[in-house]
Amino acid sequence: MNAAWLPVTTLITSLLVVVIIFSLPEEARRLRTTVNLLAAVIKIILVMLMVGRVSAGREDIFSFQVVGGVDFVLRADALGVMFAGLSSLLWLCTTIYAIGYLEGSANRKRFFGFFSLCVTSTIGIALADNLFTFLIFYEMLTLSTYPLVVHSGTQKALDAGRVYLRYTLSAGVVLLLGAVLLHYLTGDQSFSSEEGLSDYLNDHRGLLTLIFALLVGGLAVKAAMVPLHGWLPRAMVAPAPVSALLHAVAVVKAGAFGILRVVYDLFGLQLSIELGVISVLAVAASITIIYGSLRALAQEELKPRLAFSTVSQVSYIILGIGLFGPFGTIGALAHLLHQGLMKVTLFFCAGNYAEELGIHRIDEMDGAGKRMPLTSIAFTVGALGMIGLPPVAGFITKWYLGIGAIRAEMYWVVVVLIASSTLNAMYFLPIVHRLWFRLGPAHGQGQWPKEQRLGRLETHGWLLWPMVFTALASLGAGLLAGMPFSPLDWATRVATGEYLP
Amino acid sequence: MIASFDALEILLALGLTVTALACLFDRHLVRACCFFVAFALAMTLAWWQLGAPWLAAVELLLGAVLTGLCFFYALGRFFPGVSSSLERDSFNEPWSRSFARLLLALAWFVMVGAAIRYVITDMVYSPDEQPLLLAGVMITASALGAFALHRHLLRRLLAFNILGSGVFMLLAGVAGTSASAQALITVGLCIAWLGSMLGALLIRQLLHLEGVDALGRDGNPKENAT
Amino acid sequence: MIWRFGLFESTFAPLVSTHWALCIALGFPFLMGLLAALFPPKRMWPVALACLPVLASGWVLLSAYDQAGLLRWQWDVAGVSLSLRLNGLSVLLLLTTQWIGVAAALYTPGSLRLSEPQPLSRWLWPLMGVLLSALSLIWLASDLLTLYVALELMGLSAVGMLLLSGKVAALLAGMRYLLLALVGSLAYLLGVALILGHWGRLDLQGLAAVVEPGPVAWIAAALIGAGLALKAALFPMHGWLSPVHGNAWTPVSALHAALVIKASLFMLLQLWSILLPDTFYAPRVIALLGMLAIVWGGLLAWRTDSLKTLVASSTVAQLGYLMVVFPLLLGPDIAPLPRALAWEGFWLQLIGHAFAKAAMFMAAGNLILATGESTLKGLAGTSRRLPLSLLIFGVASVTLMGLPPSSGFTAKWLLLEAMLISQQWWAVAALLTGTLLTAAYVFRMFRYSFDDSAPRHHYQPLAPGMDLIALSLALTAFGLGLLAHFTLALMRGGGV
Repeated sequence: MNAAWLPVTTLITSLLVVVIIFSLPEEARRLRTTVNLLAAVIKIILVMLMVGRVSAGREDIFSFQVVGGVDFVLRADALGVMFAGLSSLLWLCTTIYAIGYLEGSANRKRFFGFFSLCVTSTIGIALADNLFTFLIFYEMLTLSTYPLVVHSGTQKALDAGRVYLRYTLSAGVVLLLGAVLLHYLTGDQSFSSEEGLSDYLNDHRGLLTLIFALLVGGLAVKAAMVPLHGWLPRAMVAPAPVSALLHAVAVVKAGAFGILRVVYDLFGLQLSIELGVISVLAVAASITIIYGSLRALAQEELKPRLAFSTVSQVSYIILGIGLFGPFGTIGALAHLLHQGLMKVTLFFCAGNYAEELGIHRIDEMDGAGKRMPLTSIAFTVGALGMIGLPPVAGFITKWYLGIGAIRAEMYWVVVVLIASSTLNAMYFLPIVHRLWFRLGPAHGQGQWPKEQRLGRLETHGWLLWPMVFTALASLGAGLLAGMPFSPLDWATRVATGEYLP
Repeated sequence: MIASFDALEILLALGLTVTALACLFDRHLVRACCFFVAFALAMTLAWWQLGAPWLAAVELLLGAVLTGLCFFYALGRFFPGVSSSLERDSFNEPWSRSFARLLLALAWFVMVGAAIRYVITDMVYSPDEQPLLLAGVMITASALGAFALHRHLLRRLLAFNILGSGVFMLLAGVAGTSASAQALITVGLCIAWLGSMLGALLIRQLLHLEGVDALGRDGNPKENAT
Repeated sequence: MIWRFGLFESTFAPLVSTHWALCIALGFPFLMGLLAALFPPKRMWPVALACLPVLASGWVLLSAYDQAGLLRWQWDVAGVSLSLRLNGLSVLLLLTTQWIGVAAALYTPGSLRLSEPQPLSRWLWPLMGVLLSALSLIWLASDLLTLYVALELMGLSAVGMLLLSGKVAALLAGMRYLLLALVGSLAYLLGVALILGHWGRLDLQGLAAVVEPGPVAWIAAALIGAGLALKAALFPMHGWLSPVHGNAWTPVSALHAALVIKASLFMLLQLWSILLPDTFYAPRVIALLGMLAIVWGGLLAWRTDSLKTLVASSTVAQLGYLMVVFPLLLGPDIAPLPRALAWEGFWLQLIGHAFAKAAMFMAAGNLILATGESTLKGLAGTSRRLPLSLLIFGVASVTLMGLPPSSGFTAKWLLLEAMLISQQWWAVAALLTGTLLTAAYVFRMFRYSFDDSAPRHHYQPLAPGMDLIALSLALTAFGLGLLAHFTLALMRGGGV
């Protein structure tokens, strides 16, 4: 039985929120909050329903014709549902966090409206079943993120917005060209088709390579691969929830997810290997990983350091694809979820330090562990995960990637992994050291840059609990990796589907 | 009989051409408008001559009387007290620009001539048998040249009217005076009159708001015109 | 190409109810305009009441076409035969005209009430009525005489409307436009004269059967093309467009940019596909000019400081998209698939642009009316104070940029595919460059509006509904992207 309503309703739920929020007046804070949270919860329930149906082997498809030969198709498959689950879970956390973070500031209606639109686009990206549908939501994401980046309206934010658009819209044009070329070559190619494009290999080898380059090139901009990463650190001027959303879920992951779709579902792994494009991808990912870590080391402010860390970490996903083996794939897919959880935790922490104590630079963080213990514990968990230490989720990923590299006999990848972990440790451990072992204002030395007492606990509850939850989740994803429906388990299911159709 | 008929037609063609040229290139505006009325009367005769009494009547009413009135209204002859009346066109153009515009008009002339030549094969052998058609070509070309050359809005409006008449003459020469052709020309005459009326109202309004200088600005804002 | 314009014999004769619907669609706007000149409406509801029969007539014609396919009317008046035809394309364009016209008419009372009182404002109504009647006639007419009459009525009423604001700049721009439009129509008339002289008939269907390529056809096509290009503001004859749009009243520029210039383009394509079905160079010249138009229009819009000039210059660039498609529609050896794709993309782009541009002019008009400033810098801080107007502007500009899921995107997808199949790489490059340029100038405007550091002005509140009308137009342009199938199926229905 095909429950076509399920993917559509999931999409429409978040779209409806956008409409409601835009039609409510700016002052209707309470109503807006209620609608936002209600929709987020409903969406999680819907996604859980989809997870249940997918694990029972059913895939729900919704489609209608746009013009001759081009359809709008939504399909709930294992990979899509995975991404949808990540985004709806983190949407709830980030919404709660954002409500606390923006307490009393201006333009909240605009913020939450576009925020919801952003998440709608993410769900659409997750459920899209052909390149046309994917492109629709991908571009929607670009547009809906712009008002969030320039939210503060300062000169710096506006400049960052301009850079962001330059990168992403150019990428969109490249992607559009690739998509139309592919459509011209093959007609409407569904992500779920079994055949892949191998029929075209003999006659159109050059064209296929060109299309792959255009598609992945366009997607790599959002995935912030070097040298196309320039927009990401600049976009840090946005408010903390936006940075969390941009970096953990929406934008960069959409790029990485798109590359996954193109390689696994559109071209097929076999064809990609025969075209010889996979190795290029692996090398590019390795360069990005090392370069991102090195740049992160050089940053003196917290958020840019996290941003460059994202540049580096997202490419683990690409690297996992490049290992062409089941272990690499599992590592890549699991990292999509794990990195999301850990990175969002880190950004929540950064936002909390900035809100509560006015801390923006790393050298101001001395002794903050005493003043804000929960936040600092969460930060430590996230940081350890990023380095890849057990039992946090990041360890699982690196372990699988390492195994995948050895199985594929690509020993240089192991070197890259070790180097990167070392670099991660070099830029995260000093922060952890400062938090816990340096004496600072909490011990009576000096003063916090701008201290506010936002709540009874160490900070405002709206800011605290989402962070605690994501920190626990990243810990749990590592500890309980063997349980059914854990990220690892689901990634294994997807990878099995790819390798054993 | 045939010879006298032809002579009349040649005379008419000459009259049309001369009045048109005088109207187009006389810098004294009142005189130019008088020539226009004379031209319109000649057109009326020409239509009569071509065997289209209906068109002659329309031309007399719309072309000579009503359009003429429009021009004299634009000149400010009816309500002299309201704002200054127009006497002479005193605008000048850099001659490089005039030259370019004249070239364009010449190209147009060549194209129209070629078209006529292809459509009416007889004309190649005995061009003097169609004096009105020849006059039409002449008038069209010179009116277009004048339209391109002048900057004074009133003179451009005059040039447009003459151009219109030339085109109607060509139409009649090429397509004869069938019902369809007459209908096209009638519509064209009405449009030309409406256009002239709008133009005259506009010129008056501009004069009232901005003075004589506004009429030579060709749509450019004040700052750019020096 | 000929059958796509519905120039063939119809199977069924129109019903009586269809006759009435036709009369209402063609005559009612004009009558209501006259009535409104006598009793100028101050509120929106009388206008809405007057618009209902027009919309109903459009609906009746649509369902008549749905049931009977192509419909033809023919009259003989004093030896001259006039003919109309209703095919899928005509219905589509007629409905577009009616909806945009109704939106502009509904927008007008509020807009007139809020701007400073004008002595001539009551004359806007009859002119608007004539304009809408003439436009409807252009989509339906199928002989050169009716087309000429409708074209001239449309042109003159458009000039009249542009002049009403009474500003000196508007008058100068209007005078220039008047003279150019009149000369353009004379060029058209001369072309028609050649056709009449050579083939002796004016009905398009008969002409399509007898026209053979030759110097006469070429010269007539050149004359008609020059005249119509002047009226359609095709590059490089776009000079009059920006000043005219910049100085007219908002509903006037909305109607003008959305419909009037499109009518000339429609006639150009229709007549050329009769006169020049197989020439190689003419459509390529147009396409080359179109590429230049995309770049030049985009640059103009990017450099300007005035909001209305931005919107008007973007029209020049958007017309470029349509011009670039010409080689896929006209010319020898075009495969059926790219031609069909290009055909659908062309009209989808045209209709989508009409809705989006009308919405954009209204949104821009609202912003200017509320802030009292017409420059981009004057928009600083509007994102906080006038979010709805800005949102409408944004939704409309998404269509112009051709980003999904708007009609601009679907049209661009179709056009790109057609161009790729026929290997027109230059056109592909032009289309993609156009996207980036459009984004550049649109977001330049948004950059100003998001600037929060500007001092706060006093904003004039807008009349109720002014934003909603613009929003509904913008959303129509947006929704046509995903619902394009229904629209395009209508167009296809007449041909097969």
